[in-house]
Amino acid sequence: MTLLTEALILGLFAMSLDLMVGYTRLVSFGHAAGYGFGAYACGWLLLHTSLPMMATIPISALLAGVIAVGVAWVCTQATGVSFSMLTLAFAQLLYAIAYKWTSVTGGSDGLAGIPRRPGPFGLNIFATRNGFYYLVLLVLLAAFLFCRALVRSPFGAVLRGIRENEAKTLALGYNTRAYKIAVVTLSYTLGALAGALYAPFAGFANTELLFWLLSGQVLIMVIVGGAGTLIGPILGAAFFLTVEHQLSNYTEAWALFFGLIFIAFVIFAPQGIWGLIHGRFRRRTAVQPEYRRGVAGAQ
Amino acid sequence: MALLELNELTRRFGGLVAVDHVSMRVEEGEVRAVIGPNGAGKSTLFNLITGLLKPSQGSISFAGKDIGGLSIPRICQRGIARTFQLTALFPQMTARENVRLAAQAREHRRWQFYGGSGVFSAAGRRADIALERLGVSAVADRPAGLLSHGDRRLLEVAMALSQEPSLLLLDEPTQGLSVEETGQAVEVLSGLLAEGNMSVLLVEHDMGVVFRLAQRITVLHRGAVIADGPPDVVRQDTGVQTAYLGGFA
Repeated sequence: MTLLTEALILGLFAMSLDLMVGYTRLVSFGHAAGYGFGAYACGWLLLHTSLPMMATIPISALLAGVIAVGVAWVCTQATGVSFSMLTLAFAQLLYAIAYKWTSVTGGSDGLAGIPRRPGPFGLNIFATRNGFYYLVLLVLLAAFLFCRALVRSPFGAVLRGIRENEAKTLALGYNTRAYKIAVVTLSYTLGALAGALYAPFAGFANTELLFWLLSGQVLIMVIVGGAGTLIGPILGAAFFLTVEHQLSNYTEAWALFFGLIFIAFVIFAPQGIWGLIHGRFRRRTAVQPEYRRGVAGAQ
Repeated sequence: MALLELNELTRRFGGLVAVDHVSMRVEEGEVRAVIGPNGAGKSTLFNLITGLLKPSQGSISFAGKDIGGLSIPRICQRGIARTFQLTALFPQMTARENVRLAAQAREHRRWQFYGGSGVFSAAGRRADIALERLGVSAVADRPAGLLSHGDRRLLEVAMALSQEPSLLLLDEPTQGLSVEETGQAVEVLSGLLAEGNMSVLLVEHDMGVVFRLAQRITVLHRGAVIADGPPDVVRQDTGVQTAYLGGFA
């Protein structure tokens, strides 16, 4: 149950990044910023206030969203690799703050002993280990439905336009920068929601949650799972976690083997896990004409 | 009052004057061609009008309001649509999705983040009409990237048309088309332009197409206007002949 809960939290984290990477082709190298911020904010609120967990989780995500507007405003000044570097810079900035600001963040020790405080109104089913699993499941489901509606909406159509040809989208009369700020903000907010779930789940928040390594890992989850599919990154996160758990039983150098798996996916299955599943399914049913879904990541 | 009025419009790139004190008027419902040899400043002129470039000097007024220096989307929202010299589409979307995204840009609720992308039925209708009028309905459900070059050119015009612009800028609509395809494209375009409910500014190298479609012609040479008038007058102009037409007429 613990592993499953963690997989769902990471799934939410990876799915939030997919809005940027898969649907808008905005590659963030610093998505851990949202996740780590959410975890720290939620952990701090649970340790230093008497608010119940059900309040601190959304508050942390919203707080991250407010800050993300500014981050998105700065990052979208740039495009391409420069954009990615700016996202990385912000994540490293947060990392440095978390490391140095010991009185609030606990420095290199992080925040420990974060409680799953029940309530409000005596609502305590989610505070148990199994109950928390269902809470995470519900949040992920709601976030998935929200994102799915988003990418299919007129707003989502504009995001796809930006992905395929931003100059043309601009020429059609869309303020593409504003759309990019909106999607980056949303993506970070959902990432922070995942982080806010992680803190009471694990009982701690440390600087690893803000480190660039995690930003790279979540990007790998999105790509291995299948960018631009929402469900793919969730599977990618579960796959990553499973492989990590299994391989680390045998070898310290599990990351090396995961690297090989990643390379294999990029070369042989660029549409990722969901692309493989979906492709097999399509061949069996063959209801959809080939050209409707045949282009990688078109949906 | 003219729909589009350029007044002493100038754009410099370093020492090069790409557009040199150009003044021009496009009346409502008028179809005007801008011709000139390569490097005459035609594309720069389009980029100035649509906001891709800022004027160095001079003014651009559209429907009585100054639009010089406005952002690209703002200018587009005022009712100016364009096509590009190199076809610009969304290759992985179907032709219909391409046009629908263009049509949706004129909706007030274009930020709506729920409901399917077809939620704006009015935009969908405008898209279907535009596809129909450009004769590309048959390929509406195919990804734009897989269409023939000719269909892609027409699709881009359909996208512009679906925005119901009051001024349409066509940058070499028949560029790269075969003789047969050019004939079909001109057929479709002349049908559209004959309705006269929008003004058109047309850049085109094929003089046959220009004389067939345009009511007035402006000739640019090294960034400056060297002739302006109805096709017959421009055709006879000796300065134009030496600069550009090279004995075509």
